[in-house]
Amino acid sequence: MNVEATPDLPGAIRSAFSAPEIADWLRARERLRGAGYGRTVPRAYERSSLALAPKLGAAPTIALAKLVSHVAIRVSPRAAERVCTAAGTVAQRYEPQEFTAWLALMTRITTQAPESVYPFLDNMERLVGRLSEQALEDWVATGLRLAGRDADKRSAYFSLQTAEAQRALEHESGEQSFYDHERRLRAYLTAISGATPPLRVAPTGMGEKAARRVSFAGNVILVPPSLPGYRGETEPLFRAALAHIGAHINFTKTRFEIGQLKPLQMAVVSLIEDARVEELAAQEMPGLRRLWQGFHVAQPGGLPTAPSLFARLARALIEPDFDDPDGWVQKGRRMFMEARERWADPAISREIGNLLGNDLGQLRVQFNAKDYVVQPAYRDDNLGLWALDEPPPEEAQTLEVQVDTVQLRRSEPTPGAGKQSQQQEQTESDRVEKVAPVTEAAEEGRAVASYPEYDYEIGRERANWTVVKEYPATPGNRRFWQELQDAQGPLLSRITGLVRSAQIGRARREKRQAEGEVLDLDACIEAATALRAGEFPDHRLYERQAPPTRDLAVSLLLDISQSTADLVPGTQHRILDMERDATAVLAHAMNEIGDPFAINAFCSAGREDVRVVAVKRFSDALDEETGSALSGLKPGYSTRLGAALRHAGKDLAQVPRHRRLLLLITDGEPSDIDSPDPDYLVRDAQRAVRSLSALGIDVFCVGLGPRNKEQEAAIFGRNGFIQIDELSTLPDKLLSLYLRLTR
Amino acid sequence: MTIDQYRLEEEPTYHPSGDEVAFYESAYAARLPVMLKGPTGCGKTRFVEHMAWRLGKPLITVSCHEDMTASDLVGRFLLGPEGTHWQDGPLTMAVRHGAICYLDEVVEARQDTTVVIHSLTDDRRILPLEKKGELVHAHPDFQLVISYNPGYQSVLKDLKESTKQRFSAVDFTYPMASVEASIVASEADVSADIADKLVKIAEKSRHLRGQGLEEGASTRMLIHAGRLIKTGMTLTDACKHAIIVPITDDPDMRGALDAVVDACA
Repeated sequence: MNVEATPDLPGAIRSAFSAPEIADWLRARERLRGAGYGRTVPRAYERSSLALAPKLGAAPTIALAKLVSHVAIRVSPRAAERVCTAAGTVAQRYEPQEFTAWLALMTRITTQAPESVYPFLDNMERLVGRLSEQALEDWVATGLRLAGRDADKRSAYFSLQTAEAQRALEHESGEQSFYDHERRLRAYLTAISGATPPLRVAPTGMGEKAARRVSFAGNVILVPPSLPGYRGETEPLFRAALAHIGAHINFTKTRFEIGQLKPLQMAVVSLIEDARVEELAAQEMPGLRRLWQGFHVAQPGGLPTAPSLFARLARALIEPDFDDPDGWVQKGRRMFMEARERWADPAISREIGNLLGNDLGQLRVQFNAKDYVVQPAYRDDNLGLWALDEPPPEEAQTLEVQVDTVQLRRSEPTPGAGKQSQQQEQTESDRVEKVAPVTEAAEEGRAVASYPEYDYEIGRERANWTVVKEYPATPGNRRFWQELQDAQGPLLSRITGLVRSAQIGRARREKRQAEGEVLDLDACIEAATALRAGEFPDHRLYERQAPPTRDLAVSLLLDISQSTADLVPGTQHRILDMERDATAVLAHAMNEIGDPFAINAFCSAGREDVRVVAVKRFSDALDEETGSALSGLKPGYSTRLGAALRHAGKDLAQVPRHRRLLLLITDGEPSDIDSPDPDYLVRDAQRAVRSLSALGIDVFCVGLGPRNKEQEAAIFGRNGFIQIDELSTLPDKLLSLYLRLTR
Repeated sequence: MTIDQYRLEEEPTYHPSGDEVAFYESAYAARLPVMLKGPTGCGKTRFVEHMAWRLGKPLITVSCHEDMTASDLVGRFLLGPEGTHWQDGPLTMAVRHGAICYLDEVVEARQDTTVVIHSLTDDRRILPLEKKGELVHAHPDFQLVISYNPGYQSVLKDLKESTKQRFSAVDFTYPMASVEASIVASEADVSADIADKLVKIAEKSRHLRGQGLEEGASTRMLIHAGRLIKTGMTLTDACKHAIIVPITDDPDMRGALDAVVDACA
C-alpha cells in the first residue's frame, strides 16, 4: 500500500475523489488486491467504484469494497465481481443513502444465505426496477423467513422461481395484480359460470416461460399474476378473462381433435371458437359484450400479418359496426354470421376456421406459432380447446394446491359441471398426494384454513402464511367418560355441586313485569285495591321466567407438542394426561352448565403444517366420540401458538354469544422447527391475542410448570394467564378459574 | 274478536312450481301438520296464504322471535276492572275456531316454546291451557303449518328431533327461471325483458351460495328491485339497492355482484 504513489494515478481517480478520499479508496483497493481473490475482483471493483463515485459520493463506494471482500470470502470471487456489476444497476435506481442500505442488505444475505447470492444478483435489475429499497428489504426478509434454514428453498425464492417469491414481489411492488382482486374475481367466475374450477396463479419464471395469457388446460385455470400493458384496468381485464373462461366452460363442451391441422389453422379455429362462445354467453349476459369489446382495439390497415389479421377478425366478430376493408376479415365475418343458426354447434368453429386458415395459407401470410400470443389480452391461450396429450402443467406450489383442493372438496358439486368437476377433484387429489408427500403414512391432514402471521421485523402480517391442517382424531378409549366417572367420581360430583351452587345458567323469576306468562298475584291484589280506591293501577302485573343471563361460549385449546410427553415430576403421568383429565373435568362441568364449548388440540411441524385435532366442535355432543378423541391425543411436534389461536378463534367468533372465552392450556413457549428467531413466534402470538380481543374474544392461558412470566404477560396481558406449578391441582384450579372468568 | 277477520277475501296470487298445491290439499284432508322448508323469500308465506284462501279457511300467522314464550302463543290472564280474565293467544284461537295456524320461522322461538305444539300435532289434537285449567279440543278444521329455513340454522338454532318428526314437509326452492320471471313481472309490474334480466342476475348470485354468500338473491328481492325500476330507477341502481347492498357487507362479494349485474344488464 503506497499512498505516496498518487502522482501517477490516472485522471479518472482524481476526478472521482477528493484528495483525502483518494487515500481511503486506495487503501480499500489495496486490501482487495492483497487478499488473494485474483486480479479480476479488484479490477471489477475499481471500474465500478470509479463509475459510481460521481453519483454516490466517496463513502458508499469505499464501503462497497468491504461487501466485495465479504462476498468473495463467503461465496466466491466470481460472485464478488457480480456484486460490482450489480452495484452499478442499483446505483442507477437508488439514492446514495439507499445504496448504503442495499450494501447492508447484501451483507446480510451473504452471511445468512450465501447460496442465494448468485440468484439474487441475477434478478437484481428486475427487483430494483420494481421495488424501492425498503420494499426490497422487506422482500428479502420475507424470503429469509419463508425458507428458514432450508438452503434449497432460499435459493429457489431468490431466483424468483416460487410462487411465493412472485407473490411477495407483487405485494411489495404495490402494483395491482390478480392477488389484489383474487377473492372478488373468483366469486365472479363462480357466479357467472356456475362452476368452481380450480383456479391457480401461474408461476411466472424469468423470460420466455412467463405466462402471458390465462390458460385453461387440464381443467385447471392458470392465471398469470399480472397481464402487462393494462395498468389501471387490471380488474376489468381479469374479469373479462374469467368471463371468457366461463363462456368456454359452458359452451365448449368437448375438445377439438388436432388431426392434420397446422398451427395456423388451429389458431384460426380457436379464434372462431372464442367468438362463438362469447356470442352465446353474450346472448345470455349482454353486458359481457360491452366488457369484451373494450379490449378489442385492432385497427384496419397496416401490414396483413397473421397477428394483425387475427386481431382484426376477432374484433369484427364481436363488434358488428367494426369496418375492415380487408377481404379475409370480411369473409370471416360473413361466414360466421351466416352460421348464426348453428352457433350452438362447436363444429362450425372447425369448419369456418379450416376454410379461413386455408385462405391465409394461399395468401402466403407468415405465421410464427412460437411467437404468437392471442389478442386481445383477456383471451386464454386456447390450449384448453385442443385434445393434447401433454400432462397438465406441473405445479410449483404445494401450499396453494392443497388449500384449493380443500375448497373444491367442500363446495357442493355444481349441477352444470357435475361429472366434470368430479373428475377434476379426482385428478386434483391425486396430484396433491404426489406433490406433498405425507411424512407419516398413518396420518393425513386436511388443510382447512390458512392464516396470516405477524413478522415484527417488518411490522406487518403476512397473508396466508400458515396452513392449518385438521387431523382425524386417533381413536382412544371409548369408555373414557365412564372410566373418568369411576376414577374421579367424587371430584366430578363435587364439581357438579359447585356448578349448581354457583347458580349459573338458571332461569330467574322476575316479578312485576309489564309482560309475562302469568299474573303476579301480589301485583294483582294491589292493582285491584287501587282500582276500587279509584286510583290509577300499576300496569306491571305479570311475572315471567327470565331467560338465563349467561351468554358464554368457550373454546379450549390444548397444546400437545412433544414436551407434553414428559412425565409430571413424582408421578407416572405425562403432562398431556394431566391436561386431558383437567379438560375432561372442565368439559363435564360445562356440559352440565349448558355453555357451548369446543375442544381443539394443536401442535405444529412448520408453518405449512399446523396440526389441529378437533376433539369436540361446538355442534358435537359430549359423548363416546369426543371421549375417544380426547383420550386418543398423542404428543408430538412443536408449538406454533399464533396460528392455533387464530384457528380456534375463528370458530369461536362464529358462535353468537356475548362473552367468548378462549382457554389455552400449554406447557411451553411458542416455537417451531422453521423459526430460529425465538421472538418471532412470541410476537406473533401476542398479535394473535390482540386481534382476537378485537373480535371480542378473551384469551386466557393456563401455563403448566415453571414459566417465563414476563413473556407470558407480554403475550396474554397481565391478567391473562395463570401459572400452575403443582400439576395435580390442575383440574381444581382450572374449574375455579373458569367459574371466576365466567361470572 | 272474531275469527272472520282472519279470512282472506282476495286470492293471493301464487305460481306453483311443482306439486306443492296437491300435496297441501292432501295433507289438509288428512289434517297432517305441515312444515315448509326453504330459503327466505321463495314464497313460503305466500303459498300458505294462497292455500288458506283456496280451502276457504281463516289463517292466523305468527312470526316467531327469540323472546317468544309459550304464553305468547297460548294466551294469558289479563287484569280488568272486574278481575282477571283469560285472553286466548293466536294458537288457541286457531285451535278453537278451526283456522290454519302458521308459525313463521319457527326455529327462532325458544325451544321450550315449540313444545306446546306437540299435543296438537299428533292424533290427540288437543291444547291444554295449564294456567286456565282448560283442555281445548281442536276444531275439525284446525291445522298447524310451520316454516323453517335450513339455510341459516346454526348450532343453537335447530328444531328438536321430536318436533321435526311430527310434520309432513315440502321443500321450497326458487321457482324455475321462466316461472320466476313471470312472478317478478306480474308482482312488480315490469316488462318481461326486465324480469328476465333480474332472474338471470339472481340465478348468478345463487351460484355464490356457500361460496361467500349465505343465500342468493330471493324472489322477493327481485320483486323489490322490479318495483324500484317501475318508479324509474335504472336496473343497475335498483339491483344495488334491492339486492346487493342488503344481501352482503363483504366488499369483495359486492364487487363480484356488481360485475354480475353489469354482465347481465
